[in-house]
Amino acid sequence: MNDIAIKAVGLGKRYRLGARTGRSNSLRDALDGALRRLGQRHGAPREFWALRDASFEIRRGENVGIIGLNGAGKSTLLKVLSQIVTPTEGHATVAGRLGALLEVGTGFHQELTGRENVFLYGSILGMTQAEVAEKFDAIVAFAEIESFIDTPVKRYSSGMYVRLAFAVAAHLDPDILLLDEVLAVGDFSFQNKCMEFARSLEGRGATTLFVSHNMFSIKSLCERVIYLRKGAVAFDGATDQGLKLYEDDQHLQAPAWFNQGGEAAIEFTNVELLSADGAPRGMYDFEERMKVRIAYHARRSIRRPNFMVCVTRADNVVCCNFSTMADDVDLPGVEGYGVLEMTTPPLRLTADNYWITILVRENRFDEILQAQVAGRFHVRHPIYERVGFGVFHDPADWRHHAVAAVNDERARA
Amino acid sequence: MNLAGAESGGGRAMPPRTSERVTQIRPERGLFDLELEAVWRYRDLLATLVKRDVMVLYRQAALGAAWAVIQPVFAIAIFTFIFGRIAKFPTGGAPYPVFAFAAVLPWNYFAECVRRGGLGLVTEAELIRKVYFPRILLPLSAAIAPLVDLAIGFGVLLVAMLIYGVTPTWRLLAVVPLSLIAGLMGLAVSLWFGPVNVRFRDVKHTLPFLLQIWMYASPVVYAFSMIPDRWKPLYALNPMVGVIEGFRWAVLGQGQPDLGAMAIGAVIICVLLFGGLVFFKRMERSFADLI
Repeated sequence: MNDIAIKAVGLGKRYRLGARTGRSNSLRDALDGALRRLGQRHGAPREFWALRDASFEIRRGENVGIIGLNGAGKSTLLKVLSQIVTPTEGHATVAGRLGALLEVGTGFHQELTGRENVFLYGSILGMTQAEVAEKFDAIVAFAEIESFIDTPVKRYSSGMYVRLAFAVAAHLDPDILLLDEVLAVGDFSFQNKCMEFARSLEGRGATTLFVSHNMFSIKSLCERVIYLRKGAVAFDGATDQGLKLYEDDQHLQAPAWFNQGGEAAIEFTNVELLSADGAPRGMYDFEERMKVRIAYHARRSIRRPNFMVCVTRADNVVCCNFSTMADDVDLPGVEGYGVLEMTTPPLRLTADNYWITILVRENRFDEILQAQVAGRFHVRHPIYERVGFGVFHDPADWRHHAVAAVNDERARA
Repeated sequence: MNLAGAESGGGRAMPPRTSERVTQIRPERGLFDLELEAVWRYRDLLATLVKRDVMVLYRQAALGAAWAVIQPVFAIAIFTFIFGRIAKFPTGGAPYPVFAFAAVLPWNYFAECVRRGGLGLVTEAELIRKVYFPRILLPLSAAIAPLVDLAIGFGVLLVAMLIYGVTPTWRLLAVVPLSLIAGLMGLAVSLWFGPVNVRFRDVKHTLPFLLQIWMYASPVVYAFSMIPDRWKPLYALNPMVGVIEGFRWAVLGQGQPDLGAMAIGAVIICVLLFGGLVFFKRMERSFADLI
């Protein structure tokens, strides 16, 4: 048992839908609901299991990624493990000091200064005042806000706010750290710093459970992933294998932000990423053209549809959108089955992983009828081989003039 | 901390855990498992929450902490005008402002405990949804933070006693245990209202006038002696009666503290407090789901 940090046995969390979880927080609504249930008789409260029968063991020092689509139970799992919510069934054992960072800056008080908030937030996260005092200088240095430390945080920019909150959390020094999407905040350089921090935890023998939609950071931080599907553990093992399974499942699924209510008017039945001459591709060279072939099934007539192909980078940066409407392609209406082909201009994207989302809007830019994640690709760049060189690359027009007169004046002065 | 050692060593040997504590997470918990040791473990957070509440209260108010003086003084002025001058309530010979102040002080403290403790869980909804800590810290800190206002108010009372020629005696020391009783009572009441408010926001609308009614059902603006004798046993079921009468005795030296009434009050507080603890712990498990 000594090298097991977390042991979960059959963990489950059930929520009741309807009156209990909805916004009906008044006595009248509750009475209303109770009466209606009496009247209906058969109207058993609708229940759903956000998490069901989750069993796993996590050894000390392991970095484990928790992946899954929205609503798969990732956050619920972290909340159960951090004792924020009580499980409905099963049990778990957590050995050592646990720090949970489900949201950066929860508990910050707007009226208090940065300094006061460091102490407040520190103890909310479970540090003693003495510990915070000891680490105070390091926290302020990490956050890079030395000159604003005695300003109320309500005057902070959102970037400063997040940096300070994360800096406190980074000095928590727990045995087990639960992170929920928190590394996805702040600007790029700060994100890098957070990633470095997460890696440094590894050196300290800390155990990390890490929820993210960003496969890129999962890949670089975790050797193992637990893949949750509809509240159940669908896969538990090597990261590459788990991510593959997840990406396959995600193919033609709705993206996290899109909520489909009822039956979709249109659906993409197949999407292929091809080279310009029609061969299947997963890797494109810089300035290569990409062909996307979209097979759809429209269940009703869709007036003036606007098909959009959206390219998103692995770290969730939306890079570009191609749209039939923006490109003046006149599609008067679609119904039934059909295939749409588009070829991009030469891709000027820098080297990274990208994915494609296909959307349809009705009547130019009206309501989104459908959005599906439809494939991943990689771009190779001859010079910018590593990530971090921005979104696109285009040759610029450079001119250089050495100004001799000014140089001479400086020399004389 | 072992942090420095781990960094300089650079080896892959596991540093010792910072804590050997093993936490068990289970769906069920004993009805009387109040987990009071968790409160002790989180005492630092309790202290911080209290400090925060005190610091925040008068931030960005031009008059700052002066409000802690202005508010009760104005209330006393109004009471003195209406109940002292116009209605001419008997005070047993004491100057009405001091007579009223001695009661307003513990009452305001108690009402503030209930108001903050009863509504505090919902105010801190974000915290409850995202961070674990023993939830009871919220009503606890709500009962401790208003002690600062009480202390300031006590200073004002001493000044008022000087002005109206009321000589302080050793009896004044009794306000310390009496305040503690008022705080426990406030905590007990908020342990009941807080969880209900999580489920039904109606509490937010009920609490202000409930406290209003409760104040007039307590001897704040009038004397206990105005209550007809046959109603006194029933009246004394309100634990605040004993506390307020105790304060008047401590400040004005009037009458004798009614030990019988205080004993009844103490029993009621104990029952409310213990029941409240059990109720709160029972409800606490679903706070994050319902809030």
